[in-house]
Amino acid sequence: MQKTPVVSVSGLHKTYGRKNEQQYEALKGIDFTIDEGEFVGIMGASGSGKTTLLNLLSTLDTPTSGSVEVNGQDITGFKGKALSDFRSEEIGFIFQDFNLLESLTAKENIALPLSLQGVKKAEISKAVKEVATTLSIENLLSKYPTELSGGQKQRVAAARAIVHRPAIIMGDEPTGALDSKSARDLLDLMTDINKNQHVSVLLVTHDPFSASFCDRILFIQDGQIGQELKKADNNRQTFYQEILNQLGTFEQ
Amino acid sequence: MLTKLSLAGIKNCFKDYLVLLTGLIISAAVFYMFANLATNREFVKSNTQISMASQVFIFGMILLILITIVYIAYANSFLLSMRQHDYGLFMMLGAKKNRIGELVFIETLLIGVISTIVGIVLGIGMSMGLSQILFNQLGLTVHHFNALYWPAIVTTICLYVGLFLLSGIFNLAKLVRTPVLKLLHIDDEVYLTKRRPLVQLTEIVAGVLLLAIGYIAMAKIMTLQLLAVPLALVTITLGSYLLFSAVIVGAVELLKQTNFANKKLHNFTLAQIMFRVRSYTRILTIVSLLFALALGAISVGAGFQRQAPQMAKSTSAYTMAINDMNKQEHNLVNQLNDTHTLTYSQKIVGNTVYYNEQEFVDHPLPMLDSRQALNDGSLKTLPIAQFKKVALDDMDFTGLVPKNGQQKSEFATQSDFENLNTATTHTVTIIRLNNVLAQRKILDRLEKLQQQRFPVPTMATVGGFQTYKMFNALFSGLEFMGFFLGFAFLAMLASCLMFKILSGANKDVVRYNMLNRIGTRRALMKQAVRGEILTLFALPGVLGIVDVLFGLQMFKPLMYHPYAMTGWSILIFCVLYGVYYGITTLIYERLVIPKEQMNG
Ligand SMILES: Nc1ncnc2c1ncn2[C@@H]1O[C@H](COP(=O)(O)OP(=O)(O)OP(=O)(O)O)[C@@H](O)[C@H]1O
Ligand SMILES: [Mg+2]
Repeated sequence: MQKTPVVSVSGLHKTYGRKNEQQYEALKGIDFTIDEGEFVGIMGASGSGKTTLLNLLSTLDTPTSGSVEVNGQDITGFKGKALSDFRSEEIGFIFQDFNLLESLTAKENIALPLSLQGVKKAEISKAVKEVATTLSIENLLSKYPTELSGGQKQRVAAARAIVHRPAIIMGDEPTGALDSKSARDLLDLMTDINKNQHVSVLLVTHDPFSASFCDRILFIQDGQIGQELKKADNNRQTFYQEILNQLGTFEQ
Repeated sequence: MLTKLSLAGIKNCFKDYLVLLTGLIISAAVFYMFANLATNREFVKSNTQISMASQVFIFGMILLILITIVYIAYANSFLLSMRQHDYGLFMMLGAKKNRIGELVFIETLLIGVISTIVGIVLGIGMSMGLSQILFNQLGLTVHHFNALYWPAIVTTICLYVGLFLLSGIFNLAKLVRTPVLKLLHIDDEVYLTKRRPLVQLTEIVAGVLLLAIGYIAMAKIMTLQLLAVPLALVTITLGSYLLFSAVIVGAVELLKQTNFANKKLHNFTLAQIMFRVRSYTRILTIVSLLFALALGAISVGAGFQRQAPQMAKSTSAYTMAINDMNKQEHNLVNQLNDTHTLTYSQKIVGNTVYYNEQEFVDHPLPMLDSRQALNDGSLKTLPIAQFKKVALDDMDFTGLVPKNGQQKSEFATQSDFENLNTATTHTVTIIRLNNVLAQRKILDRLEKLQQQRFPVPTMATVGGFQTYKMFNALFSGLEFMGFFLGFAFLAMLASCLMFKILSGANKDVVRYNMLNRIGTRRALMKQAVRGEILTLFALPGVLGIVDVLFGLQMFKPLMYHPYAMTGWSILIFCVLYGVYYGITTLIYERLVIPKEQMNG
């Protein structure tokens, strides 16, 4: 079955530092695609360029050269309103921390992307309720972030990331600040969203356990994609082992 | 090494320092200008013949010192909020706390000294400019005003350097005592305000009641006398405080229920306001009171000045009396528009001045209807028999005597008058005009001519023009003080609010950064900033204006139209206040709204 790519990246370069300053080439030509409904992981050592790549994909930063297409549009040239509208419509974000606005309740936090798009009040309520039921956080909706645990906060963040049905969810180490139980819950949740709601997921992580939830893993080394692992029909344990092996070969 | 690091830190947020320094410099300059007036006894004495003036100035000075203290406290918290993260980091890297404390202390003091010195220099310049404007443009008469006045310089330095010494010690203590981790994550604290509706309702009712008591007290100043002022101050302060805390929360909660909240970033803005109410209630109360005081000072000062012509009318039935009008004076009188003139003959025998009764029958001399304070200057003419009875006790009539030292006035019948054997017959010409202000140049020249011909040490001419000039001088001083107090207060209170708001900016950086990431348009974020700050500026402004509208009732016994200048003062005030609002938003936006892209 031929799937259409949600994200397609080709010849992506990123050099930090201005001309006639000290320059550093963080990405040295990256090509890959993410298909609709795929759960893709990006792994790599610290400083290998994972965050840089994610920033380019989410238009938080601009590439030095190369192109990024999301849903068939080249997003590298976006400016101003087009830029923010793209972010609020096509992307759902989950970060490692400062995910939620602590002055808003969970419900208001989740509703934010819809409010930004000018959706009507009744529809917002309906959408928030739906997504809250899916993530079983209905009883947390009226609480403020300070009244929530770390894992609960990330659930709320996940709800906010999917409430507006983005083309793709991106997470940069979303489990980084969580204990193993909460981390596992969040990953289960993301898998669930991915499988049942058919939203593509791109997960940046350096943790093999998190990575084992993905369908496919791209390994970045020194700004280039070095290796690619597919889960195929393996179960998670086997895939986890494979990832560990793969990481082992890097270390040698 | 540490000094170098610290300097690098300052360089990083140089623009913020510039804001801080500019604010402090302007504050010091304003304070200097005020101290210049308040400490200059000669000036106060010569410009305000009323004994209350020096008390007004002392009161103003105390208020201004209080505002300055609040102001510097907020400016200092702005400084601290900019720097504490840096210093926390240095400590984490192993810098000794004492060393850091020293650095903080020196930095604070240095900022204080620089801004005080530059502020005083600016203040001297501003004083020069202001006196030029007042002398040349407004034609106000202000005596004994020197731009450079040493006692004022000393006062300003003492206050500011003293306050900065205290701030330095405070900062030192705070940094040394706060745990390092807290310094690094000082922004994470959030207050939750959940109130019970009953408490809120009680607050609103109590607040409105207290305000009402204050407003009524001011209106009833005639019965309450001096008690009215402290009573109003206390009740209005308490009332404002209660009202701010209850109404803001209530209004926000109501708005949150509506469709409005779900659009754009409205929910976010509402939440921001809600979360700030508690820490802002106090400053909003202070600002609204100062706003009212400042606006009131300007309205009253300008109002008094405007009523000088009216007062001239109410103190005399005519504008000027001219003795033995000569040709030159006659030409000048002919140049006056819209005038009534009456001429009477006088004959002098010994110490007595005789008038021809018949002339008063043919052309009666008008008299004031009433000589009470704030009379409307309306005139009456009496039948001759009655006129003769009251005229000899009436200043307007007795003042008509030639300025040769004669004391007594007498009426004579026409034949008796004609039979009086004197070498010359004198005349006195009375001119009455409606608009003194517009024709004051001609009147001035007339008065000068009369003074040259009849040099009398006590009084040059009689009539309303003379009163006008006296009141004009008196009220010029009052208006000057009113404007001065008003603008000094406005500058200070708006700066206070500005720094209070700005010192909260670093907490917002993270929030707006997140909003940017999830795709909020910049225009929307700017709207959010503007809406939030507008609320904080508008609330005390509106309450301040209401305070003034009621407060001016106090001046009803003293003024014809206490509200005559209110519209203009409010307008000018709102423009200046608006400028502060604009500056605050611009700085705030620059501080908190991120670029859309990292290198964009
Ligand atoms: N703004 C920047 N300016 C200059 N160099 C940068 C910038 N951001 C990142 N780099 C450099 O680019 C390289 C890649 O950084 P990146 O943040 O993408 O790493 P990462 O893979 O996310 O690492 P980690 O796992 O530690 O988060 C690093 O060597 C880093 O020093
Ligand atoms: Mg990273």
